[in-house]
Order: sequence, then structure tokens, then C-alpha cells
Amino acid sequence: MATDSAPFLDLDHDDPVRLLELYASRGWGDGLPMIPPTEDRVTEMLGAGEHDPDEVIAVLPPRSGLATRRMIAVNAVLAGCTPAHQPVLVAAVRALARPEVNLRGVNATTHPVAPLLVVHGRVADDGGYNGGIGAFGPGNRANAATGRALRLILMHIAGAVPGPGDVATQGGPAKYTYCVAENLAESPWGSYAADAGVDAPSAVTVHCGEAPHNAHDMESSAPEAILEKVASAMRSTGQNNAPISQGEYFVMLCPEHAAACAAAGWTRRHVASFLHQRARLPAGELRRAFDLRAWEPWQQTLADDELMPMTAHPDHIKVLVVGGPGKHSSVIPSWGMTKSVTVAVEAT
Amino acid sequence: MRIYTPAGEIGPEPVHLAPSPSVLAGRRIGILDNTKPNAGVLLGRMAEQLAERTGAIVSTVVTKNAALAAPDDVMSRLREEVELVLTGSAD
Repeated sequence: MATDSAPFLDLDHDDPVRLLELYASRGWGDGLPMIPPTEDRVTEMLGAGEHDPDEVIAVLPPRSGLATRRMIAVNAVLAGCTPAHQPVLVAAVRALARPEVNLRGVNATTHPVAPLLVVHGRVADDGGYNGGIGAFGPGNRANAATGRALRLILMHIAGAVPGPGDVATQGGPAKYTYCVAENLAESPWGSYAADAGVDAPSAVTVHCGEAPHNAHDMESSAPEAILEKVASAMRSTGQNNAPISQGEYFVMLCPEHAAACAAAGWTRRHVASFLHQRARLPAGELRRAFDLRAWEPWQQTLADDELMPMTAHPDHIKVLVVGGPGKHSSVIPSWGMTKSVTVAVEAT
Repeated sequence: MRIYTPAGEIGPEPVHLAPSPSVLAGRRIGILDNTKPNAGVLLGRMAEQLAERTGAIVSTVVTKNAALAAPDDVMSRLREEVELVLTGSAD
């Protein structure tokens, strides 16, 4: 049998339980059964394009692992992806490697941060991603497997293994898989990716944040009433924004809440501006809660009775449409020392 | 059955640590405080004790955000002013 550093293992069986045990014994895997990454499966995952399989897409910290197209495909196979998901993963790895994401910090922190992967546009349809009912939940192979593959890439290639490479105090379920599609068909404001400056048929966004916080309003039709609940989910002293108040929020409005806002003439920008105004806490309350504060000079000048916004600018509040029928939206606070990135998905 | 291993190769290290000085007497020690709780207390006491034992001098104390890489100006200052840096403290 080959060593851990060898590219292959030669097995005398194809028993998935023994494979799971073998991988676990070497510190690999997320604890769930995996598809054996045979040469044939990895070749199929790479597709028939003209890309060099050994092209290094990114060097991922803290391990400084080389995320080649081939190694991305190996982890895609392990997670249960189809070849339609490989370009999404390649784009996601490109995005995670951007300096403003601060992947070293994301992987290393005690905070339960996980990269949320949002899939936009044509590839969301082609790959079978779910942006509708239960989008954050189970039951869809594309969402489940792509999010899982990204986590396996972080564990295996980047070295974000709980303990030596990921010291999240409690971890979190979003670290298993965290991938949704934007519900473009029911977005009254068009594509988030286009608003983020990526004018491409397909794109992905990565946002390194917490698991979703629910914002429920079954009865209101006025944007102010709905978004007040969203703002209340943002006004938490348990979030990093309280002592480190610059991080982004992703506000995932359900189609019905988004439609109510749009019916009143509100754009994404209106929603973000309202939330920036309403998601505030008295500076004195935050001072009493935290002796250790990484505040900017402008924050330090606020009197105790003045309201401090949970994030510095409306542009830090990103508004997307996700989900199906019903009146539950969600807020995804950032880890803080990271910025979201949207990149195009290359054509296959 | 032949299968791939999942981790792949390791790339070049993005930074290399300078070799530590073999003698600390008369050398300058810097503290890079990452502002984690009590990091400054811990690193400061370590530096004092090291200086007492070796004859080194604690000359520079700088801070950084624990979650971000040290800014270029902080690294430049340390390169110019000290021969040994004490850093690293978690929650």
C-alpha cells in the first residue's frame, strides 16, 4: 500500500465501509461514507475540456496544499458530485483563495465560520442546484455534494482538520456542507452576481459566515415590519459584529418577503439601507458587554447613548432571494475578518 | 482497486523564518502582541525573563489583529529594530 503522501492507494477490495475506516485511520474524510475516487471516476469528473488537470487553481492555507483541478475532482468524487459540479468547485476555490477572504483566518479561528457557497445563473440550473423550498436543507444532491466537496477540499488540501488546522470551539453543522442556489426565478431584483459586478452566465459567491439565523414574519406586508425582524436577528451581541463591527451580513430573503419589499418599490439598496439604520445597538451596551473591542476610531467616538450600526456601511449588507413558499428569511452574519467574493464560473 | 489519496501535494511555503540568533546577549527582542486576551501580559513576562537570563534587551512592542496577517509596516519595523520576535497566543 502506498504512503500517505503518495497519490494513489491500491486496495484489494471495494468495500465502502473498509474505505471509510481506512480514510479515517489516516485523518481523511468528514465521517460520512464516500465514493471511492478511482482514476476513471476522477477522469470523468474532470470532463472533456481542454484544461490541464494539474493546473494549480490555488494554494490553500494553512497546509499550503496545491488545489489542482485533479485534486478538486478527487474530492468532488468523494463527496458524491457529478461532473456538472466540478466547474462550480473550481470557481469556489478561486474565490476562497482571494486575499480578502482571509482563508487562513477562516480555517484557523475558534469561531464556527464556514464558507457559504451560493450558485448563480445557468450553472445552477444545469447542475441541478436548489434555490427553492428547503434550499439550505437536505434532499438535493447538487447542494449537498458540492458543499460537502468544498469542505473536503478545505480539510484535505487546505489542512483545515479539526484540531491541528481548524480550532473552532464547537464547530458547526455548516462545516459539513453549506451550498445553495440563488432563487433567480423569484428574485424581483435580478441576479445578485450581476449587482456584485460579475456579468457572466454563471457565477458563485463565497461568504464566510455563521449558520443561518431565522427571521420569521407571517403577517406583515409592509417592508418595514418584515425587515424589522431581520434587523433584530442582526442585533445580537453574540455575533462578532458586536466587538468587531465591520463584517458583512448576507440577508437571504424568502420570495414572499422579497416580493413584499419589491411591491412597495424597494430595491436591494433600500433593503440594505433600512437594515443598516435599524440593526443598531447603543454603544454603551456594547461597551458594557465587551472590554476587548477591535473598534475603528469612529466607533470609539460614539457616546454611550448613541446607536452603533452592527456593520459600518449598507454595502456590507448583501441581499439575495433564497427559498420557497412561506415567510421565513434568514440572516448569515460574517466571521468578521473576511469579505465575500463573487466570481464567474468558466464555461465547460 | 486503485484510488486517489485526497490531499495532494504541498506547495512552497509562503514565508521562511530567519534562523534564530545563537547568542542573545546584547540582542534586541521584539514582542508582536496579537491582542488576544492576556497575550501582551504573557509575551511581556516571557520577554522580561528571557532578557534577564541572556542579557538581551526588550526594545519593541507592536500589536496586530489576531485574525489577520501582520501589516507590512509592522513587519518592516520588526525587521529593522529587533533580532528576535516573540509572538503567538490563542484564546
